[in-house]
Amino acid sequence: MGISPSAPVVLEGENLTMRFGGLVAMAEVAFTLKRGEILGIIGPNGAGKSTLLNIITGIYIPSSGEVRLEGQRLNGVPAHRIVARGIARTFQSSRLFADLSVLDNVVIGRHVHTKAGVFDAIFRRGRAKAELDAAAAHAEGLLKSVSRGLYDQRHRPAGELAQADRRRLEIARALATDPKVLLLDEPSSGMDDADTDALMDDIRAVCAQRPELALMIIEHDMRLVASLPDRVMVLDYGQKLADGPYEEIRKIPRVQEAYLGRKATQHAGA
Amino acid sequence: MSELFFQQIVNWITLGSIYALIAVGFSLLFGVLNIIHFSHGDVSLLAPFFGLAVISALGSVLGDAGTITTFLLALVVSIAVTGAVGVLLDLVVIQRFRKAPAMMALVATVALGIVLRELIRHLFPNGSNPHAFPRLVDGDIAIAGYSVPLFSLTVVAVSALSVCALFFMLNNTRLGLHIKAVSQDRDAARLMAIHPGRIFRATFFVASAIGAVGGLFFSSYAGMARFDFSIDVGLIGFSAAVVGGLGSMPGAIIGSLLIAGLDTLVQATVPNGASYRLVFVFLLVIGVLVFRPSGLLGRTLVEKV
Amino acid sequence: MAHASSSSTSGNPVSGMLTVIAVQAAGALYLRQFLLIDDWRFVLGLLVLFAAVLVFLERVPSVETRIEAAFARHSRLALLMGIALVLGFPFVLEGNTYALHLCVISMLYAVLALALNFQLGSANIPNFATGASYGIGAYASALLALNFGVSFWLALPAAAVVATVFGFLLGIPSMRTRDSYLALVTIAFGVVVHQLLNNLEFTGGPNGLVGIPVPELFGHAFSDPLVILGHTLPPQANFYYLSALLVFISIVFAERLHDSRVGLAWNALRADELAARCQGINVTWYKVLAFAVDAFLAGFAGTIYAFYVGFISPDNFTFLVSVTIMTMVIAGGMDNILGVIVGAFLLTMLPEKLRAFSDYRILFFGITVILFLMIRPQGLFPQRLRRYGD
Repeated sequence: MGISPSAPVVLEGENLTMRFGGLVAMAEVAFTLKRGEILGIIGPNGAGKSTLLNIITGIYIPSSGEVRLEGQRLNGVPAHRIVARGIARTFQSSRLFADLSVLDNVVIGRHVHTKAGVFDAIFRRGRAKAELDAAAAHAEGLLKSVSRGLYDQRHRPAGELAQADRRRLEIARALATDPKVLLLDEPSSGMDDADTDALMDDIRAVCAQRPELALMIIEHDMRLVASLPDRVMVLDYGQKLADGPYEEIRKIPRVQEAYLGRKATQHAGA
Repeated sequence: MSELFFQQIVNWITLGSIYALIAVGFSLLFGVLNIIHFSHGDVSLLAPFFGLAVISALGSVLGDAGTITTFLLALVVSIAVTGAVGVLLDLVVIQRFRKAPAMMALVATVALGIVLRELIRHLFPNGSNPHAFPRLVDGDIAIAGYSVPLFSLTVVAVSALSVCALFFMLNNTRLGLHIKAVSQDRDAARLMAIHPGRIFRATFFVASAIGAVGGLFFSSYAGMARFDFSIDVGLIGFSAAVVGGLGSMPGAIIGSLLIAGLDTLVQATVPNGASYRLVFVFLLVIGVLVFRPSGLLGRTLVEKV
Repeated sequence: MAHASSSSTSGNPVSGMLTVIAVQAAGALYLRQFLLIDDWRFVLGLLVLFAAVLVFLERVPSVETRIEAAFARHSRLALLMGIALVLGFPFVLEGNTYALHLCVISMLYAVLALALNFQLGSANIPNFATGASYGIGAYASALLALNFGVSFWLALPAAAVVATVFGFLLGIPSMRTRDSYLALVTIAFGVVVHQLLNNLEFTGGPNGLVGIPVPELFGHAFSDPLVILGHTLPPQANFYYLSALLVFISIVFAERLHDSRVGLAWNALRADELAARCQGINVTWYKVLAFAVDAFLAGFAGTIYAFYVGFISPDNFTFLVSVTIMTMVIAGGMDNILGVIVGAFLLTMLPEKLRAFSDYRILFFGITVILFLMIRPQGLFPQRLRRYGD
């Protein structure tokens, strides 16, 4: 895949530090993400991967440091506004709206691109309905493009989906916000190899359709980390250990020892 | 210090101690074990009725309703039975909602409180009307030139003892250790051969029994038992725990003293204050919740994502 | 719940129309019998019949699907027929004023239950203060009428606005608190409102307000019998039609909001508040909004109640009223408009019909809530998935 070296930076973090009481969950982490780039983030449990995602999406406010989207500071912007500015995410333990239909889940993703409020809903029904129908049509198209199988299940409650489809739906829901940056928190967790391969293909297809979209993926599955990202960042104990192409990263002893070694042998054995 | 002022202070501390007995139960259940149990106040206020029932039953069997033995027996039995009722409610209703959305457990336990009140009203003879409840201890004692009711001293002493025992239990016994283990990680506790169900039941018993002491004191303080006391007292007990910070035992005590202080102050200074007291108390609660959602001594929780 | 797929079950239009007509007529007939019967054994029989129909529909989803499809396809017919039945209903009550009175009260409770449903059903916010908003609406309109001579028709919207303002105020703590804390705030709000009404001088204290004037419309006083086409209906019929209109408006509100972006946002925060935030939903705003909408409709209902009975006192608007409304929503079916209305009618009329039992009404409500939450949390009529573009 690869991106042009001249691509502009979309998202960057500077000196990000996060303290919970006395605990330092993240210390002075900096990163950049270019337009169209796929950045993998690896690190053992508790290394601060999810903390980083939560800081970027406004769920946590960093103790110090700054996150910028296209040069604009995001610190202190509420989570729902950050979505409107163009950052969407998925969750490690997929957090779908389980009792709503698959389609509704994606339509809710269109929230920031629709406007109807209480007044419109009641007194300007036609307008509100047209807007929502358009959002539903958009959502159907999106579902179709992410996965045909998911589209066919669009009228089922999201809670009934199989694990792999839940991930796909979460990605579709996030894409519905028309993000510039998409953050995926361990998309392959809880899935077997076949499902992971299929998911990787779907993610590749999504990126191919959206050359501008920048992706940040937290992953444990080394097959995915080896093949999908353009670049990999390693976090350890809340600090950045390394940042570079997978081929370089894997050679670092600390990475092999703390993380890759174990996983690599597992996969060699499998 | 004028005599009147002193009496108000005695009043304040007495009431605060009574509220604290109910508030610590709320804090233990909600804060430590994360169980939603809005009917804890109603359970606590069952105790005076159990007490009256025991006294009248013993009276008709033995023909001596007034002796100190009957009286003490009635207290012990009512505290134990109230504790058992707490356990029973958990077994029959509350435990079904452990994994359900918080809203369901909430509404169910609010309804449970109503059911308990109505059961007293219908099942206790003449349950709709107030029943005279004896003062547990009579007489006054002179301290530094002021006369202090023995009742107040008893309330404060018993409350302090109960709360200290609860602290000790939580920090120094196996049960306390297990409660903490279960509160932190139910599954891990199970792996360590701690049976969470048993811990929940033990906690329910302890919280309800301490609440029962509070309920008995309250009825004794008011001189009567009423089926609808628990609306006010239960709400105040929960409010005290919330103001102090759910999960914090010192917080529950501070919250109780604060609310009792406001209560006493309003009744003493605002004209017709007795009928407005809850307005002031709840304005305090709402204010604390808006500005310090986790209470005065509560920890701020960070949601795990 | 099976889904109505319009292609496979539409059948021929005549049978669809007949289905709509038959279902609505059966519903109206059932309600009439329920209202006019006095013997408790017959009441129980009717209840068993109702339960049997529900069980049958659940066991044989194809019938339910057929009915649903027929209503979806002939929605205009269903609407017209529904209006005709509601308009004609007082004429078949044999001039029974008590039955009419029960209808009025049931409809007011239906409005309150629909109001609470925005919060409890759509957004899963436990609000124990709907009874207080109902009271604020009632007192605000009554005070306007008694002190300033404001007519009913002006007091109605004014009281709704006052109730909405209080609803917003009540909603403010929800910005920072949730679950048990929020429930405590709403219970506390209800108690505060009750104590204030009970003690303030201008609200008349425990005696409340008396002598609230009767509304008039084009010179027709609502205390006079209603003469339509030579047929005389008891005075309660005036308020029957007024409440029916309010129920109709509430249903329109509820449906439109449910099928809109707002309803979706509420559902999203019900399912997962954090995930909702991460889809760009301003969770705080939508919570406060739910409080305001609840209070708005409750304010309307309060005004009609005040002018209907002519006197109000704090005890009409206690915490137990809020719990009653909550029972209706939970038993009927959260986030299901039809269910909530059925819940309101059933739980208003049942204690009245089973007199011997009416002293136990609160106990009955409490047990009903607990049992439903334990055994059938989705209520009698579970919520349905949305459809788009039809």
